[in-house]
Amino acid sequence: MSTATLPGISDRHAAAGQWAVETHGLTKRFGENIAVNGVELLVPRGCAFGYLGPNGAGKTTLIRVLLGLTHADAGTMSLLGYPVPRHRAAALARVGAIVDEPRFHGHLTGRQNLQLLAAAREPTARDRIDPSLERVGILHRADDRVSKYSMGMRQRLGVAACLLGDPQLLILDEPMNGLDPAGMHEMRDMILSLVAEGRTVVLSSHLLDEVERTCDAVAIVDRGNIVRQGPISELLAGASLAVQVECSEPDRARALLEGTSIGAHIEVGPLGLGITLPAGTARDVVAETNRILVEGGIAVYRLQEIQASLEQWFLQVTSRLGAPE
Amino acid sequence: MTTVPQVGVPAPPPTSVAPVDAPSDHRGSWLPTGAMIATRIMELRKRRGLMIALIVVNVGIPSIFLLIRLLAHAFAPKSYGPAGGYDIYTALSAGVMYVFGFIVAATLGCTAGSIDLTEGMFRHLVVTGRSRLALYLARIPAGLAIVVPLVAIGFTIVCAVCVFAAPTTLNYDGATLPSGLSQTGFETWAANHPDVVICDFPYNGNIAVNVPCNGPGGGPGGGPGGAIVKGPPGSVVPTQPTPAMLKAMAIKIAEQDYSDYSRTFLYPSTSLMIKTGLWIELEAAIGFIVGLGLGSLLGQRTVAVILMIVLEIILTPILSRASIPHLSNLQRSVVGLATAHLEPSGLPLAFGGGGGGGPNGPHALLLPESTTVAVCVIVAWLVGWTILGAWRMTTRDA
Repeated sequence: MSTATLPGISDRHAAAGQWAVETHGLTKRFGENIAVNGVELLVPRGCAFGYLGPNGAGKTTLIRVLLGLTHADAGTMSLLGYPVPRHRAAALARVGAIVDEPRFHGHLTGRQNLQLLAAAREPTARDRIDPSLERVGILHRADDRVSKYSMGMRQRLGVAACLLGDPQLLILDEPMNGLDPAGMHEMRDMILSLVAEGRTVVLSSHLLDEVERTCDAVAIVDRGNIVRQGPISELLAGASLAVQVECSEPDRARALLEGTSIGAHIEVGPLGLGITLPAGTARDVVAETNRILVEGGIAVYRLQEIQASLEQWFLQVTSRLGAPE
Repeated sequence: MTTVPQVGVPAPPPTSVAPVDAPSDHRGSWLPTGAMIATRIMELRKRRGLMIALIVVNVGIPSIFLLIRLLAHAFAPKSYGPAGGYDIYTALSAGVMYVFGFIVAATLGCTAGSIDLTEGMFRHLVVTGRSRLALYLARIPAGLAIVVPLVAIGFTIVCAVCVFAAPTTLNYDGATLPSGLSQTGFETWAANHPDVVICDFPYNGNIAVNVPCNGPGGGPGGGPGGAIVKGPPGSVVPTQPTPAMLKAMAIKIAEQDYSDYSRTFLYPSTSLMIKTGLWIELEAAIGFIVGLGLGSLLGQRTVAVILMIVLEIILTPILSRASIPHLSNLQRSVVGLATAHLEPSGLPLAFGGGGGGGPNGPHALLLPESTTVAVCVIVAWLVGWTILGAWRMTTRDA
């Protein structure tokens, strides 16, 4: 199998070739609409894995299928090495998940809601209620009714509910929703600390910046299909290369470059030349661009390679804006 | 170093690898654990509004009714009779407690069956990996642990007031007499009160003496000036009977009426109260379990509660008493008719579909059904609705 390496992730299970989540040909239909279309997803253990896609791409549906909240129409899947749904109970015993907006019994306190959930897990789960509440930072509000909680506090309670089972795999669907900037920062730190403990965190989010800061690898889903997956650094390396050039005579510089074979898309803007090089272009081309301009008598004041962000790459590869390739 | 596959590369088939250790807590078992039941009780009990409503309906209404009667009798004993007694007991137990117990239980059942779904908690519970069947079954003992004591409290209050605030003398066909007399005692009392017995007691036969009875309640026939004369047919001129004749006639009447008298009580017997209590609890348990199944099936509470009330208040009385050609077997499958046939004898036909009283009592108004068939119908309803509710819960998208 051809693979890309994912540096910085060390887990004995992953090293043994195991996956936290493994799906093959997973399909889910709602009538004529195919929400999940033959998805092949491999999530390595012990990493933070981002699951990205535009609205309606099928992110939540895939999560629901994985967790047994709805059935799959075709394909196979496994969680933590257990084939599901055949060994669903054993698999979910070490999985914690928030799907969509976390909702609880509003008339119960946060602690009572967790007691209800802990009772459905193993007996030791009850001992994890207070530590979980403390870890997500709402222990001081544990005896307040959930109906009085803000959206952000319910998110935290949802994460606390995930932690009751001492999970090896956490699947968090939009966990940053409703959190203020400080809360987002805390959530990010908590996710990283969970990964540092050897757990796997699958993060479904539309906040690309957060995913880029938190996750080691991502998968992009669009219209039910996974269009890209792999380590973020390698995926970004495959994005088109942008170079900003501040120079004298921009129009003549553009004409000069268009007459060469570098194959760039060039625009003249208020800041100078905007040069977009195709994905996979060697960095030598940037130096070659500079040489052409200087030898053409153009004064180059500034030449800057623009680092592609996950957001830019995401917009490139999702079908909403059209794939560049 | 961990590897991540690239896009476009064919993925391998599911690998057979050693999974992480899972806790051995029989999570896939359909049997709910004690902790699941206990927390489910807590969840239902903490629904303050629902609990208050249930207590008001099942305990408050009979309690307030009896309290008003107690106060009225205490302040104006001549105008208002005793608060308790046999008649009050039968009316409250076969009417109010029977119907309200069912509605209270059904409301709780519909809530327990649907509320996890509507409040978004069902998804969290499913993600624990616990068997959905176990999640459903945990609600049955939890709900019954609330319904059964609630009904028992209301019924105990009714029993206590009806026994301890019962009248001290018995009113038998308008005559006031001691209760609990043996046949000899009853005949002795009749011999000592021949006028009352001859004038007031029902008698199927000829009265051989002419006795002037005062008042409109004196029996059949009537005499001038409101006086009523009981005597042999065709007698025109009343003859004054001797005391011995009156005593003999009174004893004869008492002998015939004793079996009827012996079924008239100041207050309900212990055995009747036990039987009635079990019968009301059975009705409440049916209401809860059917409501649970219906709530789970529909996935929402309001419509389920309305359907349960319609079943109890409208459909059951109609289907239990009306004779619909070609549909009698279908009518017999109504659970309310089945429970009505199990009603303890001694209770009157009530608006909730009850109707005991033995073959000659109001029971006869109901569509005939054997006890075996009634038991089978009840079991079928309990099992059937449990299967339906559990099936929906196990197949529903969360």
